[in-house]
Amino acid sequence: MTSWTRRRTPLLGPFGVRVLLWLLVELWVLNVADLLLTRYSLSLGFATESNGVMDYFFKSGTVQAVAFKLGVVTVGTLLLWRVRRYRTALFGAALLTAVFAAVVAYQALWVLSF
Amino acid sequence: MPQRLTGEGDTPATPPQVAPPLDSGAGTKPHPSETRALLLTALVLLAGVALGAAGFFVERGMSTWRPEVTRTAGGWRVVQAHRAPLGGLALGGDDLVWGCGPSIVLMDLSSGRLKLLGPGPASRTTWDPAASQRYVVWFEAAATSVGEASAWVYDSATRRRRQLATLGDVLSLPSASGNRAAWCTTTQGGGPGIVAVDIPSGEQSSVAPEYGVPVIDGDLVTWPTRTGPTGMPAAWALVDLAQDRRWSMAPAAMLSNADFLGYDLSGRTLVWGETDPASGRGRVVAQNVDDGVGSVIAEVTGGASLASAPSIDGDLVVWAETLADASGSRVLGRRLGGGPAFVVHDVDGRVLTTAAGGDTVAWLAQRAQTTFIETAQAPR
Repeated sequence: MTSWTRRRTPLLGPFGVRVLLWLLVELWVLNVADLLLTRYSLSLGFATESNGVMDYFFKSGTVQAVAFKLGVVTVGTLLLWRVRRYRTALFGAALLTAVFAAVVAYQALWVLSF
Repeated sequence: MPQRLTGEGDTPATPPQVAPPLDSGAGTKPHPSETRALLLTALVLLAGVALGAAGFFVERGMSTWRPEVTRTAGGWRVVQAHRAPLGGLALGGDDLVWGCGPSIVLMDLSSGRLKLLGPGPASRTTWDPAASQRYVVWFEAAATSVGEASAWVYDSATRRRRQLATLGDVLSLPSASGNRAAWCTTTQGGGPGIVAVDIPSGEQSSVAPEYGVPVIDGDLVTWPTRTGPTGMPAAWALVDLAQDRRWSMAPAAMLSNADFLGYDLSGRTLVWGETDPASGRGRVVAQNVDDGVGSVIAEVTGGASLASAPSIDGDLVVWAETLADASGSRVLGRRLGGGPAFVVHDVDGRVLTTAAGGDTVAWLAQRAQTTFIETAQAPR
């Protein structure tokens, strides 16, 4: 008898797991790029952090902001890797990577245009 | 009895196939599935990048502060592209600054690149900016009705923007020169006061506990006092910040019943414009702040009229005149060192303000409902 989880979320094959691994690596790198670009934009005095939680940490100090942002995304990627058997993990990672890529591209263009 | 496995007679058995030894994989091509996985993730990445870039360019296209900028033979032409007119022109170093609605916009004169300096996200209102060689200073507030504004500065050397000071009511526009800015605001006691601010440190000092619209250049701050109904001052107040000295000076070469157009200061020379509405006569006057000696830089007669207050930087004085046949205007200049006045540029429209910075001349003009800014180089 198939378990409920199995029926709802189909399992990933070895190829899907490989894709997931690369997506998580990209996600982590994009997170670092987002952090650096945000910090630079804030230092220019033109941008404001619209994420209330990150705004709190940026106001607390750079070390706190770096620790929180890297920590949260690292834990998130590890959790997604832990549930790598499920296809949902792959979809989630793909969505997050695309969103982070969009944010980083927007910020990079903004900084370059400045 | 064991059965024979083959029916081919006593042929020798084929040797078993042995798999090749495993290697580290170095120097070998990635497995096709690895390449496919990377390609797939690259597609996800590209989709995100395309989305972010599209958002950036859509937002840029929808901005209402961005004018049409074209390079001309002598400089730049900046034309209002949206409903908000251009205003508050200032020249400083290699930068041209203006206001457009609530936006404060800077253009790098060497590249034509535009930069939105303000307002910040918490502000909705700005006042006309001032520019020195390195800094741009302007005021921002949440709303005009709020009695508290903040002064902001953009440092073109570091490309950073920061809050310079908080002030009460905005009683004058800022003026900037070198590392200093000056303005008039309500003081802690509630009355008006003129203050000077050291821009790098943000340190404020009181120039005078009175109302005035100050202009600063170097160590010198000046403002007109006891202005009459036409705006003409009865005296100039002058403060030397380095020597902590204050004195006043009566304006020279005044026209009777003239309207006052505005003034500017550079070094030890004060210039202003005045026009007599009855006779149509206009005059640009320069006056030395130390000895009080005044000289008429330009006399506008014969149907032409003085269109804007003069601007001075170094030995260059510029102003604008409306042509006698009202077909347009022209921007003129004159060197204090000598020589006659010269035409900087003919303008198809009405000139509202002029600005001089080094040998660069800029003017803000209006034609029908469209405002535009042009720049040119003054001849040496």
